[in-house]
Amino acid sequence: MRRPTLTALVVIIGLLLLADTLVVNAALSQLAGVAVDAAILVAAGAALAGVAALGVRRVQDLWRQRGDPIGAVFVIAGMAAMLAAGLRPGSAGTTDPAVQWLVAALLVPIGATLFGLLFVTTLGAARRALATRTREGILLVAGALVTTVLLLPLSGSAGAGLADAATWSLAFPIGAVFRGLLIGIALLSAVYAARVLLGIRAADE
Amino acid sequence: MNDHSRALTRAAPILLIIGLAIAWQAPDVGWLRLSDAESKRAELMTSALDALPDQPRVLIGYDPDLGTYAEIRQTARALLADLLARDGRLAFVSLTAEGRALASAELARLGRGEANPTRLLDVGFIPGAEAGLVGLTRDIRAGQLDDGAFTREVELEGIGAFDAIVVIGGNDLGPRSWVEQVMPRIGDVPLLSVTPIVLLPEVEPYLAGEQLAAGLTTPRDGAAYRESLELGNLSRLVESTEPRPLPLLLGMLVAVAVLGQALGARMLEHLRSAGSRSIG
Repeated sequence: MRRPTLTALVVIIGLLLLADTLVVNAALSQLAGVAVDAAILVAAGAALAGVAALGVRRVQDLWRQRGDPIGAVFVIAGMAAMLAAGLRPGSAGTTDPAVQWLVAALLVPIGATLFGLLFVTTLGAARRALATRTREGILLVAGALVTTVLLLPLSGSAGAGLADAATWSLAFPIGAVFRGLLIGIALLSAVYAARVLLGIRAADE
Repeated sequence: MNDHSRALTRAAPILLIIGLAIAWQAPDVGWLRLSDAESKRAELMTSALDALPDQPRVLIGYDPDLGTYAEIRQTARALLADLLARDGRLAFVSLTAEGRALASAELARLGRGEANPTRLLDVGFIPGAEAGLVGLTRDIRAGQLDDGAFTREVELEGIGAFDAIVVIGGNDLGPRSWVEQVMPRIGDVPLLSVTPIVLLPEVEPYLAGEQLAAGLTTPRDGAAYRESLELGNLSRLVESTEPRPLPLLLGMLVAVAVLGQALGARMLEHLRSAGSRSIG
């Protein structure tokens, strides 16, 4: 379904921000400022709504005895603890010692631990990728193996050689592929966004 | 898979943790060092900082990722201490919720370390991701928490008040977003970064293109930079212990062994099947 008002609004705001970047004009700058402030407010509202939706969903999971009850209890307890620490009367918000303790003593170590667990799960995933017997899987694991060897923390001439090889691989093969991917994704996103804005659909949509 | 290898697979993570713990306690060995005496990235960072004016005003975009923060935390803290040692005035801003949590914790740590509070400014959290970054180039509101001279300068001049921008990155709103959204809208302000190695392919072209004036992107760069610092009295603001390279090496060797064994077995199988096909 075409939504010409929304499309027009998005195109006008896009052009406004583009013009503000290119032209120095006080009135234009103020208008663009209003648009940017509105975007920030909407994003903040969406973030709050997202957190609220997560809380409601977990409460519903517990109430209706579905999903993962232990996970739901942890999510709700965590949210309640942070809200109580940051919003209780007399609290200093994010700079409150209780909030900072929750962050420094719980959130950061748990986040780092979960990331550390990726070491084991990624190795398991690599083995499973090889088990699929696909060429892509072999290529992926071979690339990971070479990269890991290049990053070994050795000193002396061996370490310097590995570091030089790592720099070269980043500057040329990895850099070229990564930038190519980013440029490709950017082009595809622009084309897709333009199609959505202009209400153009493929024949099978 | 027989019972023996199944039990070994199950016990492997525990054995790995025990191995890492032993390696953590083992004495250092000379041939194993994280720092590289000739790290060009560390030298570039020091040169960029040397080129700043006296008492530089620096905007710190503090948005690390919780998962990779452990990798860059020591280097980020060393850079903050280095800036303070150069009589810098630092304004912290975050564009992600976890970045804000970590920035608050870092400001509190600097406070506990008795860093001069008039040199620190908490601009707070700005929502809106890229729109927030664009908003930051238009005006900065920081007066609600502080009414010092630095705050007044920042509120009056906005982002133009700063002599440099330092991005402590790790997630989507890292150096790339700052280069794309902020740099075209401001003058020639050097942009410096500290990022985990996972962002290296993304950051590398910006460093090569000099859109980033300097960046510490690998544990090796970070260690070399930390080793080059002479902080004097402010060394209390950095961590006293360096990461141990031996557990790091052990973990990486385990990864190489597991990946190499799996890859070698697959390649052997592939060669065997190709050989039997050609015979047939």
